[in-house]
Amino acid sequence: MAEKNTLAAQPKLRSKKGHERRTNGTIYTVLTIMSIIWLVPFVFLVLQSFRSYKLEKGGMVDYLLPKHFSLDNYAFLFEGSNFFSWCGKAILVGLIVAAAATLLIHLCGKALDKREGEDKGARILMIGGSLLVAFAALVALTAALQGFALAGKAGTLLIALALFMLVGFLMAKVYLKQDSKLLRSIPGYVVEDKHEGAKKLCTLALEFLVLSIIIQHMLAPMTASQYVRWYINTLTIALFTAVLQTAIVLSVSYALSRLRFKGRKLIMNSVLVLGLFPGFLTMITLYFLLKQLGLTQANAVPGLILIYCASSGMGYYISKGFFDTIPKSLDESARIDGATRFQVFLKIIMPLAKPIVIYTVLMAFMAPWGDYVFASYVAFGDPKGYNVAVGLYNWVNTNDFQNYFTRFCAGGVLVAVPITALFLALQKYYVEGVTGGAVKG
Amino acid sequence: MASLKLEHVKKVYDKNVVAVHDFNLEIKDKEFIVFVGPSGCGKSTTLRMIAGLEDISDGTLTIGDRVVNDVEPKDRDIAMVFQNYALYPHITVYENMAFSLRLRKMSNEEVHRRVCQAAEILGITEYLARKPKNLSGGQRQRVAIGRAIVREPQVFLMDEPLSNLDAKLRNQMRAEIILLRKRIDTTFIYVTHDQTEAMTLGDRIVIMKDGYIQQVGTPQEVFETPRNLFVAGFIGSPQMNFLKAKLVKASDGYQAELYGIKVPLSEEKCAKLAKKGVGSQDVILGVRPEHTMLSFDGNANTIEGTLRVNEMMGSELHLHVDLADGTSVILRIPTLELTEAQRASLAYGSKLRFTFPEKVAQLFDPKSEESLLF
Repeated sequence: MAEKNTLAAQPKLRSKKGHERRTNGTIYTVLTIMSIIWLVPFVFLVLQSFRSYKLEKGGMVDYLLPKHFSLDNYAFLFEGSNFFSWCGKAILVGLIVAAAATLLIHLCGKALDKREGEDKGARILMIGGSLLVAFAALVALTAALQGFALAGKAGTLLIALALFMLVGFLMAKVYLKQDSKLLRSIPGYVVEDKHEGAKKLCTLALEFLVLSIIIQHMLAPMTASQYVRWYINTLTIALFTAVLQTAIVLSVSYALSRLRFKGRKLIMNSVLVLGLFPGFLTMITLYFLLKQLGLTQANAVPGLILIYCASSGMGYYISKGFFDTIPKSLDESARIDGATRFQVFLKIIMPLAKPIVIYTVLMAFMAPWGDYVFASYVAFGDPKGYNVAVGLYNWVNTNDFQNYFTRFCAGGVLVAVPITALFLALQKYYVEGVTGGAVKG
Repeated sequence: MASLKLEHVKKVYDKNVVAVHDFNLEIKDKEFIVFVGPSGCGKSTTLRMIAGLEDISDGTLTIGDRVVNDVEPKDRDIAMVFQNYALYPHITVYENMAFSLRLRKMSNEEVHRRVCQAAEILGITEYLARKPKNLSGGQRQRVAIGRAIVREPQVFLMDEPLSNLDAKLRNQMRAEIILLRKRIDTTFIYVTHDQTEAMTLGDRIVIMKDGYIQQVGTPQEVFETPRNLFVAGFIGSPQMNFLKAKLVKASDGYQAELYGIKVPLSEEKCAKLAKKGVGSQDVILGVRPEHTMLSFDGNANTIEGTLRVNEMMGSELHLHVDLADGTSVILRIPTLELTEAQRASLAYGSKLRFTFPEKVAQLFDPKSEESLLF
């Protein structure tokens, strides 16, 4: 009986498999066609960006593939800017300084490790001393490469020094704590995270690199072409918005998730209702308000940062949902252990909420990066305050739009590159963030 | 290392839900106090008020000689072990235990010394470099306790620390807590719903119900002289049998009559009853299952019942017996005391007779549910 049953079941199974294959085939075909349709404009845009505006006509051509592939359009974007040489120098200086400083701190840490139990003063002296040496090296290198008169830049230097000491000191402290001899004496310590030390060193080096570039920028700002200026505007707005908005969103969500205060429900509900109105309803009012503060046209960058961050607390839903899934007893335990609310937030909740933090940063970065509506009217009329979207739109909105079309495409491609890279790199967290609020237990 | 004083402590949640009414208790230095009661009795709320995680609606809480009503949890010098361990999942066991010390800006050497010492006491040295998710339940519990003891706190709070463990591990950890308590001599407050834990761990037990303290006393006191029906029923397993009886006052003392038997009460009990001015009345007579004896010799002064369930527990039998009026009682009979024939006679539905010694009988007023012997 049993054999008969299996025999009877087999053809059914086979047909089931065939059915599955057919369904999958259809799905894949449809998806492929859809993605081709979806990709065509992008491919077209990229192709156009390689068609020289000098040799061929602009937009009105009756062929798809450019006849001469050239980088003329890209070259135009950077015309009149010392962007590449500046970047080259900055990165070179940065790399040298980062390598030197990291090595110094590493050696310093090793030396301190050997003298475990030494008094605090000696530690600070050693770290501080090594940082001073690193800083002197940075100044000397920059001066040598730039040929700059440093005397006139005393103020900038002072700020740079403070910044450098602060970040360097913090990083050194973290590094020393993590890699101390005491920890290594625990059985199994090495097994848990073999690359802990290397990772710390890499972060340290990266911090110094970024810092060096910032200092470089303070000492010798690059001369910008129109496009580079717009790009820097956009980047500035997006970075500041990302940081500020993330800070606001996360603190609002944490407060609404953890603290019980009067009017909590009221705030949540009214924000929900307010959120139903589209943001650009307030456009005119916002413009006049910013005008009174002097934050329009040439000063559009801070004005726009203000606009993007102003109502960011309203986007608390997703991160609050995520925080709600982190057991409250962790907060309570940390508070009994001696942490303040802020320390709980920083040391316990933030590391656990990594996906949602990254998601929030990503969202906060992307919105101003591609925004046109707000940027167009706040910076209205003054190309100095434009972001890339507004600037590029103005290129194809001139009388010479034909000629500018390929350059417009090149500009568009360059804007798309960082955001695409960012998205691909952080895709995992993005998905975790979107779904995390609901599922994570 | 501090004494605690709770005076008229009250907890009212919004919408006027009162979780704890007028809680008065003095906890001596280095005492092990257990709060026990069914869920929703306010024991955890009281503990959380002591910890500072809940506001105190009314009354005063004193730790040492400092009123701490409005003191932040971090400044109360207490440590707490949570039911779900509440270990920080993103850092290693070592860092979990070092967390509070680092917040206190203790030097690395001191942190290391304390963590290693605590780890050794609890036998978790080899797990120090692991993350909590790579530990078993028992190990996690140890880490949670370790995190509390590295601080060397004045008061040690434990909120149902064993209820997430399986039965075997729970017994083992219970023994370890007793040992731990001997090693680190400090004030403990332990919350549980398990009366076995309460009896074995506590110097004194606080039995709570519906936000009121029912009785405070040593394990022996609450076991032998329960103040009311609730305490009598809650402490001891299986729970105490309650039998309807009549208290008859005669010229030379009292006697209880139930199910056709007469139990003359001892002079001590009579004196207590007389002092209270109790007359003849209906009472509830409580007898613990382990104090009952089967009677096979046909003595007429015994209670007759029908055997409904016979649970063989190994060293003893739990007999569920229906009495004439349908009341169900449980008898706990050591197996060794029975002959083969006697055991064989305990078949389902068979009639049996049992009795109990007078001195174990508890008397309760059926209306107020208070003990008449207190």
